[in-house]
This record gives sequence, structure tokens and C-alpha cells, in this order.
Amino acid sequence: MLKMTHLSKVYRTEVVETYALRDFNINVKEGEFVAVTGPSGSGKTTFLTIAGLLETFTGGEYHLDGVEVSNLNDNARSKIRNEKIGFIFQAFNLIPDLNVFDNVEVPLRYRGMKAAERKQRIMDALERVGLASRAKHYPAELSGGQQQRVAIARALAGSPRLLLADEPTGNLDTQMARGVMELLEEIHREGATIVMVTHDPELAARAQRNVHIIDGQVVDLAEDPRFHHAVHAARNNAPA
Amino acid sequence: MFAYYIQLGLRSLRRNPLLTALMVMAIGFGVAASMTTYSVFRATSNNPIPDKSSQLFVPLIDNWGPEDAAQNKGEPPEAMSYTDAMGLMRDHRGKRQTALYPVAPSVIPADASLLPIRESSYAVYADAFAMFNVPFLYGGAWQSADDEAHAATVVIGRKLNDKLFNGANSVGREINLDGRNYRITGVMDTWDPQPLFFDPVNTSGFGDPIQLFIPFTRAIDLKMATNGNNNCNKHAGEGWDAWIRSECVWIQYWTELPDETAAAGYRDYLRGYAAEQQRSGRFHWAPNVRLYNVPQWLDHEKVVPQEAKVSLLVSLGFLLICLVNTVGLLLAKFMKRAPEIGVRRALGASRKEIYAQFLIEAGTVGLAGGLLGLLLTGVGVFGVTLVFDPDIARLARLNVSLIALTLLVAVLATVLAAFYPTWRAAQVQPAWQLKSN
Amino acid sequence: MLQIKPILAALKRHKAGTILIALQIALTLAIVCNALFIIQQRLDRIARPTGMIETDLLTLQNRWVGVDDEKTGPLIRADVQAIRQLPGVEDAISINSYPLRGGGWSTGVRTNPDAKKSETHTTQYFVDDHALATMGLKLVAGRNFRSDEIVEMDPKAVVASSQIMVTKTLADKLFPDGSGLGKVVYVDDGTKPSTIIGIVERLEVPWNSSWSDTFLDNAVLLPYQLTGGGTSYMVRSKPGQLAAITKSVPETLYKLNRMRVIPSERGVRTYDVVRAQAYKSDRGMAILMGVVCLVLLAITAAGIVGLTSFWVGQRRKQIGVRRALGATQRDILSYFMTENLLIGVAGVVVGALLAIGMNLWLVTQFEMARLSLVYVAVGVVALLLLGQGAVLAPAMRAARVPPVEATRSV
Repeated sequence: MLKMTHLSKVYRTEVVETYALRDFNINVKEGEFVAVTGPSGSGKTTFLTIAGLLETFTGGEYHLDGVEVSNLNDNARSKIRNEKIGFIFQAFNLIPDLNVFDNVEVPLRYRGMKAAERKQRIMDALERVGLASRAKHYPAELSGGQQQRVAIARALAGSPRLLLADEPTGNLDTQMARGVMELLEEIHREGATIVMVTHDPELAARAQRNVHIIDGQVVDLAEDPRFHHAVHAARNNAPA
Repeated sequence: MFAYYIQLGLRSLRRNPLLTALMVMAIGFGVAASMTTYSVFRATSNNPIPDKSSQLFVPLIDNWGPEDAAQNKGEPPEAMSYTDAMGLMRDHRGKRQTALYPVAPSVIPADASLLPIRESSYAVYADAFAMFNVPFLYGGAWQSADDEAHAATVVIGRKLNDKLFNGANSVGREINLDGRNYRITGVMDTWDPQPLFFDPVNTSGFGDPIQLFIPFTRAIDLKMATNGNNNCNKHAGEGWDAWIRSECVWIQYWTELPDETAAAGYRDYLRGYAAEQQRSGRFHWAPNVRLYNVPQWLDHEKVVPQEAKVSLLVSLGFLLICLVNTVGLLLAKFMKRAPEIGVRRALGASRKEIYAQFLIEAGTVGLAGGLLGLLLTGVGVFGVTLVFDPDIARLARLNVSLIALTLLVAVLATVLAAFYPTWRAAQVQPAWQLKSN
Repeated sequence: MLQIKPILAALKRHKAGTILIALQIALTLAIVCNALFIIQQRLDRIARPTGMIETDLLTLQNRWVGVDDEKTGPLIRADVQAIRQLPGVEDAISINSYPLRGGGWSTGVRTNPDAKKSETHTTQYFVDDHALATMGLKLVAGRNFRSDEIVEMDPKAVVASSQIMVTKTLADKLFPDGSGLGKVVYVDDGTKPSTIIGIVERLEVPWNSSWSDTFLDNAVLLPYQLTGGGTSYMVRSKPGQLAAITKSVPETLYKLNRMRVIPSERGVRTYDVVRAQAYKSDRGMAILMGVVCLVLLAITAAGIVGLTSFWVGQRRKQIGVRRALGATQRDILSYFMTENLLIGVAGVVVGALLAIGMNLWLVTQFEMARLSLVYVAVGVVALLLLGQGAVLAPAMRAARVPPVEATRSV
């Protein structure tokens, strides 16, 4: 589904070159739920923006759903984002000027879908996250957890093959975070591929697979006993 | 605190140079356009004789009848026939009165090597000088006795006196008009009422100062035709005597009535006069008379040029648009700083202080716009000659009051425009911006 | 076009900015329409032909000094003779007034002497047989005056002439079937008949104010040489000699007789100067309105650029989100263009009403014509295009916001 080989990303300023990702390799299979962890500044977010075609990369290869994306132009990349990828941001990123319904509609609009189908999908997606009754509310009128569920509905409405989540619970309290996490797990069970960036080991532990990034490179955690220890600890602490 | 806000305002002007430049230009252009056209409007709508404008009156008598009046919204002719002017002069019902008309004598200099010259001239009665507050440098008006004697006397202007007598006191000396000698009784000091209220009919209200006055009775004796308009509703007949007796209108008539009672009395008298003309069979219609004071008369004669009014209106619209524009840009400028406002509020600034800060900032923008506007108004006042008659254009001046007004309008308008954006800025919650993006 | 509803929804949340831009567009439209209309009216006036050949034409104002008004006839004749003999002079006449001079004779004309009201108004020009050649008038029917028909006349004793020439406009007005030549008319409220012996293609009245607009091209030429205190001379120079005769004619006149005044202002004017001075305020008004329009449009455009830039800045984040959700650069561009178009349409609808209302008010206040809707249409299109043009730069900046903006905080 998502395969990066020897990928690198360099940020250049006038004086220095900074490698955000260096010889980065990852392969996420269809239907997997992968948690990406790492200390801040390690390159997690860069990985996610490149995976989501929000940014270009400097070297290496990236195949998304079998397509090599490095040579695609801006329009083609927009189309892939629109049709194959769903985003969930830490800060929700709902458009404050639009109500819940119109927010969920945004990606469908760009797909040029007919009004009736749009409406159907929006209501389905909102139903799914339990917010169908709030369709006419504006983001500012919702709690953080509700906003994030709207964002998830927006990500789901277009039936993406790949769901990318960047610290989806980072701005939420524990109670709300748990609800969002359960929603993601449910979506995963229904067949979606999910890649989630988080620095929270407890969340990471609930994913199928963990990928740890340090200094822009993937560390193979299967070989690292410290990781297993951390995962076990998290699982034991998690409430039943 | 005020100084601090000014400092903040100036710093903010530098921070968004493009937005600031846009605002300053909008205000500058808007204010300059309004002030330039206002300077013309002010000059043309000036009250030329403020102390007496409500005591000097123009009577009009309809000697043409309703058929002609109907073509002019029922108004009587805007000048008087010789018959009626003489009738009113004879009755002598005002405190002072004069009939007058423009004449065109040529001054023949004593020095035979010089060519004859013509100055704008009027034939009037002796009362005119006291009525119109004409200032004298030397001597004074001729006497009423001179009117009765049809005397060859003359009052000349300062400019003409400078030309003919090098500015010396010429009272008692003689000048030659069209080959006849006239005795000078007075030299006027500079007298330049604008608009030329006593004869807007023949001058359209503006023109060079009058340099020569001769007795009305003398001008009639010499059969001096009017140098202005002569309107007849039917053929006057041949020759001077027929014209004098005709219903052609060509004389302006003025009377001084010191108070409202006198004016009311004069109105009754005019109606009585017209009724008498009807009884005697000269008028075949009911009395149709008017009595206008100076402002009413200037208004009636539409002395303020149409161009002055239209361009003032357009300029005010222009200023309004510039202000709407400024409201928008200030809103953008202020709301860009919502985070700053949040922090300030968090640090203890009250709403009132936010108001003060932003209104003062707007004031500095307005002042900058006003300075630009002043510059452009200067250019505009020069450019006035492009649109208006030279006679009118010379009246538009950039003086202290216009400079003060330009700056005041600019600052006031900008501060006014800033109220809404400032109100919005003051609504920003303390540190609201810090909490989330 | 696909996103009108959500754009409207978003605009509802930015009422102040939206209203300000729409209001500005509306007011600008109202003023620009009326200003354009004023410009066009003024230009139309300036473009009116006088009917004369205006090149190589000189005018003079002469006033006699110390001569009785009735006795100036021989002096005028001597002047005209002297001017005609000057080198560089093609021809010359003495005339009471001429087009664009301001001030002249007007009177009623009728075809039936018993009619109570005249059928139309006309000006009267008192000329001799040299007028056609000097003024450059085109005779389209009949004949010119003969020199033996010219009569000296006291201006206070003018009566109708038995033979007159008229302009085609006047002839056709009095005889709509075009049969004016040879017909009899009654000029100046008298009962003495005048026969039309010649028709000139066109000759304007001396006035250019609105009061004469109803009889602008109605002129009667009478074979009279007026005496009186003052007269106008018109002189046609040989090609290219205008500058030379502008100096030599007044010199010759003073040499002939010093007892005269040729005013220093407006005494000696080439016809170009006459025309420029007559239409000075019209041209000035047109220029002023033109400048006002341009500056207004520039300020409105600047205002749109300013506010839209602010909006783009304010919405960088959501533009990033839209890009992340699959919007192409073109989608973002068209979002802002459409948004501006919607505001613009609202603005021009209000503006068109304002423009018409403002014109109706001006009509009641001033002697102005009704605004042609063409100007409103032109103004509407111009302002919508202006809006689109102004929004282009900020919209392109918006389109260049990278999708990664969505993941940045603040």
C-alpha cells in the first residue's frame, strides 16, 4: 500500500542542510494499522506529510498503492490526496467558516461528486462518528472530541484507502482521546489502512505494528528489547 | 500613555508598509479631491456682503404677463424696464435705492500717445455706494443732487487711478470718457465682492472688479446702451426713445430696507404699484412681484456654477469611497494583530486602552493622509483653472483655513472610519489567541 | 462555480469585510457610471461642429471710441476694406457675432404672419456677400447675397430683410418636406416677409450654454452691415499665414484709426483659441471626471487587493487543509475568484440601483439628461473585471500555499 525505499528529505537554509529523513525505508501493507513513534524532531511529521503527498521529498522512491509518486505534478498529487488518502490532524483543522456538514463535504466537492451522493456520504460519515445531529453546528460550537470526530468523518467520507493521523488525540483529554481511539480501531476493523503518528506509547501499543523513528531513520523495533518492554508495560497499564 | 500610543502607531505604520501606503493614499486622494472642489464651492457660494445681505433687496415686477412668465416657472423677468425702474425711483420707498446697468465707455488718456482703455463700468445712482458698502481711498460718492442734475461726475477704482494718476489723490480732477470730461468725486479702495452680487444677470456672478461708476441719469442722457443683456418680449420699435418706452428689460434695481417690517411694507408697495399699472391699463394681469434679498437673489440666479456643485458632490462621494476603503484596510490591519491584542489584554490592557491605542494609531494614519492630501490639494487648487473660468478659478485659494480644514477632515474622517475596526479589535478576548490557533 | 453555496456560507461569517468590499464596489459603480456619462455628454458637446472651416480663421472684437453709434458705418467699411487688402488675407467680414463667441441675436421665426407663437427660435447673423467665403460655409441650395443687396443698418432699427439665407436645419424645421428654398418666412415677430434665397449646410448659434440647445443649428443670415459701438471681424488667412495676420491685422487697424479699443483679453483670437475657451469648462469637467474615475477605480482595486490579501493571510491554514483534502491550485484560485465575483455581483446590483438613483437626483437638481443604461452596463462589466483583476494576485498567492501548511501549528 505504502512503500518508501531509501527516501530522504533535506531542508536547506542558506547556511545548513538538515536531513529530516535519511535512507528511510518503510512498507505498510493493505489493511495494516501502523503506529509511528519517536521523540520530537525525529522526523515523524515529515514522514507523514510526505506519505500524504503534502510535501515532496529529496531522494529515494515512494510507491503509494503501486504508483511511484515522485514524478507526479501538483494536480495529480491533489487528486491522489483527494481520492486515496484521508487526513486526521492533531489540531482537527476544521474550517471555522463552515458548519459540520459543509466541512465534511469539502473533499467530496473537490471530487466533483453529485449533490445527492455527497449528501448520502456525509450523513453516513457523520452517523458513523455519532454526530449526525450536529450537522448544522459550527466547529466553534463543538467540544474538542466532537471536532476531532468531525475531522474523522471528513477523512472517511471519501472512502480513502489510506488514513493518515497525526497525533489525533494530542489536543484531547484522556476521556475524549479514548473515544477517538476506539473509533479508529473500529474503522481499522472494517478494512482501512491506518498510519498514525504519536508519541504516546499507550496509543502506539494499541496498533498492530509499531515503527520507531530516530533522527530520520526507522529503527527496527523487533530487535530492540527496550521496545518490547515498553509495549508490555503499556498493555498492562491499559484499563480493560 | 498618549506618547506611547503615538509611538506604537508610528511603528505599526512601518510594519505593514503596503497596507499603510494604500490607506494614506486613499485618504490623501479623497481629502484632496473634496478640499479642492470645496475651495471652489466656498468661493462661489460666498456671502459677498455679510453685514447687509438681509437688508439689500432686488424687486422684480412682471411687465410681460403670465404667458411669458409661464415659460419661466411663473417668475417675472429678472431685470426691469426703464419705465418701472423710473417709477420705483420716483416713489423712493426704500431707505436707499438705485437702478443700475453696465455701460461701456472708453477712457481716453490725457497722454495722446496712449491708446484708449476700457474698464468694466456701471451707471448707478449716488445711493449705490452707501448701499453696497463701497470703500473709498480718496473722496467719496457724488451727491444725490448730482443725480438730479445729470452731472458729469465719476467714481473710479484704485487700479484705474494707479494707471491714470500714478495713485495720486485725483479727487476733483477730470477724466475723458468717449471724448467728454467727467469730474472725479472719489477713488474707491480695492472693492472686489465675489460673487458680484449686484449684477449676476449680466456677469454670471464673477468678473473683474468694477473700475468706473457714472451717474445713471447722465448715461441715459448720453443714450448709452446697456453693455449687458437686453430682453424684449416684442419688437421695441425704432430708435432710443422707443426703446426707453418699451417693455424691454435691461435694468437691475436695488433697494435697502433696514428691517423685516420695512421689507413687508415694500412688498405691499410693489403689489400696489403693479395693481396701479393694471388699473391704468398697462398690465392686463394681476400683480406678480418678487422681493429677493442678497442670498435669495444669488440662489435664484444660480450663481454657484453647476460644475462647482457637481464636482463637489462627486468629490464627497469619492471621499466616502475612500473612507469605506479605509475601514476595510484598517479592519485588516487591526485584525492581523489579534494575537498582539490578546497578549496585551492578557497583560492587563483594558478595552478602553485598546480603543485608545487603535484610534490614536488611526489618527496617525489620518494625519499622514492629511499631509499627502494637503500636497495634492495644493496641486488641485492649481488644477482648478483647468475646469473653471479664470474669473472663478482665481477665487480658489489654499489659505490657512483650508489647510487646517484639510488636516482636520483627514484625521476626523480616519478616526471615524476606525471606530468599527477598533471595536472589533477590542472584542478580542484576552489571550484567546494563545489558547488555540 | 461548483462551490457557490459553501462560499456564501463562509462569507456569512465575514460579514464586515464582505459588506465593505461590496459597498465600495457599489459606490464606485454609482459614481463611475455618472462620471462616465458626464464625460460623454461633455465630449459630445465639444465635438459639435460649427459648420465653419475653423482653420486659418481669426476673430477680432472692436469697440469705437468717441464716435456716435449711428456714425460708425463708414469706419467699419474702411476697416474691412483695409483688412481684405492685407497680404496673407484671403477674405474678411464684419459680423455681429459668430459661433462659440457667446452673446448674439436670437428671435422667433414663423411661416404664418398671423400665428401667435413662433414655430422655432433662431439666431441672426448680419453679414455681407463675403461671409460664405470667410467663414467657410457650404452653400447647399440657392445663391449667396449679391454685393448690391447689402444694406447698412442701425442695430436699434433692424427690421426683417426681404432676402435671407438660412441653415438647412432651420429650413427643414420650417418646411419638413425639404422645400424651403424660395419660401417666405417671418423673422423677428414682424409681418415683413423674408424669402429664403440660399441654404447653408450648417452654422451654429453663438451660444454654447444649454439654453440654446433646442435651436443649436438654427441660423438666419441677413444682408445687413450693422453700425453701432462695437463689432466683430472675422478674417480668413491664406493657408499657413494665420500667425502673420494675427499680428498684422490689429496693427493695420490701429494705424487706420486709433480711436478704438481692441481688448487685450479676447480682442484678437484665432478660432482655435475661441473654441478652446468656449469649451474650457466642458473639457476640464471631462478631464476631472476622467481623473476621478481612474483614481476611484485604482483605490477600489487597491482596497480589494488589501482586504483579499488579509483574508488569504487569515486563511492560510484552511487553504492548507483544503489542499491536503485534495484541492488543486486551480480549485483554490477559483475559490477566491468566485468569492470575489459573488461579492462583486452583490456590489454591482446595489451599485446599479445607486447609479440610477443618483442620476435621477442629479436630473432634478441640474440640467442633466437621463443616464443611458449602456453606461450602467459598461460600469458593471468594468467593475466585475476590476474585481477579478484585483483579486488575481492574492488568489494566486493563496493557490501557492503548500498543503503542508495544514500540519503547521499557528
